[in-house]
Amino acid sequence: MAINVKIFKEGFLRLAPLILLVYICISEFHTQFYFWKIFSFNLQFIIIYYWILRDPSILGYGFVFLCGIINDVVLSLPLGTSPISYLFVSLVAAYVRNATVRSTLFTDWFTFVIAILIGNFITYYLIQNFTELEASYTPMFYNSLFTFILYPVFWGIFELYKKAIVLRTYD
Amino acid sequence: MSTNRDDFGIVIRSALLQRGAKQKFSLFFLILISAGIFALDNSGLKPVKILRSLINDGIYRISAITSSPLRLSSHTKDFFVNHISVYKENEKLKAEVEKLKKQKLTTSYLETENKQLQEVVQLDKKSSFTTIGAKIMLDKNSPYLKSAVINKGSNVGIKLGMPVLSSGHLIGRIVEVNFISSRILLLNDLNSRIPVVISPNGEQAILSGIGKSKPRLEYLPEGFEFGEDSLAYTSGKDGVLFSGISIGRLVFEDGRVKVKLFTDPNQIFLVNVVLDKATDLEAM
Repeated sequence: MAINVKIFKEGFLRLAPLILLVYICISEFHTQFYFWKIFSFNLQFIIIYYWILRDPSILGYGFVFLCGIINDVVLSLPLGTSPISYLFVSLVAAYVRNATVRSTLFTDWFTFVIAILIGNFITYYLIQNFTELEASYTPMFYNSLFTFILYPVFWGIFELYKKAIVLRTYD
Repeated sequence: MSTNRDDFGIVIRSALLQRGAKQKFSLFFLILISAGIFALDNSGLKPVKILRSLINDGIYRISAITSSPLRLSSHTKDFFVNHISVYKENEKLKAEVEKLKKQKLTTSYLETENKQLQEVVQLDKKSSFTTIGAKIMLDKNSPYLKSAVINKGSNVGIKLGMPVLSSGHLIGRIVEVNFISSRILLLNDLNSRIPVVISPNGEQAILSGIGKSKPRLEYLPEGFEFGEDSLAYTSGKDGVLFSGISIGRLVFEDGRVKVKLFTDPNQIFLVNVVLDKATDLEAM
């Protein structure tokens, strides 16, 4: 029994954040959470930032890159736009992880602003300057704002989840 | 001061180059790869385009399958919402039926009159198009693009720029063609620009998407006025779209002349891609 729990925790449960990230990138998640013409949020940024910051062994940079490629195909953006954006979010998370000794919700939350700004700025800059697409600034602003506001909610959920998947001595 | 700068350099270098226990690639390496892919994709090389088409086809299919649970939940919600408002809708429909009955008589008279006039001036009777039916696979409303992916591609003769109809009205045009799928740029997208003609006086204008449900009319003549019966049709002036495809009714909103589309771009499920104008025989 204990062996089964261990296999389940080390296998499926540790893979769940990655599965969620891939699912969000490949499905119509954006469309289903696009209300009142302004409400949308970037769950990919939240997942990448949280897990790279708190437990990088769960989410590899290679998978972040692949999810970015999938997202570009589904959203019809030039290939490479989302991976660059996601990898810079990962870079901010890795920097914060290396630079801080003890992180709390508030330190994570406020450094997340920098990650969102850099991530969205890169996407906007690449679309505006290297493609024929036209991007509107206002929806991106609302998207960034709601992503920032919702971060503590997902932080709480992921913290609980992280505690649940930790292996104890007798597992 | 210099110590702070050194610390920053060390930490950022460590974040960029460190791979950690379970990381196979460093961030620096992956950022370089991404930039390379971005440059290749923008170069427009033919092998890259073919590769992108194959990737698109594969991911669209997987995406359509994985999105089905989300779509099911959305349909369930719509089902309940529709049932709640069914009484009001019934009353509204009854009134509409009465109105349509009256209109039918007028239309019948106009139809006869039109037929007679066409015979007199020997107008070209070609009014329909050769189309191919397609189903919406993905309907993505991203902040950058209002588009939909359909399940037909170059294998059935779809080409870039072809107009797409829903219930006989224009909803967009083809902007990306893969082997077994294509992408429609909807009329309300920021990047959509369509030359239109306005009935009944025949003014020319450009219909521009603004990312909202009603696209606006630009480059209208000075002192332009319109009535309740003013409709927008494609003018065909760009040489890509055929002329005379109905688009929507003119409305005045937020100080601008906008077009209320006959077909809601968010509600489309089946569409027709216009391949060509029909021949006389086909039209009959």
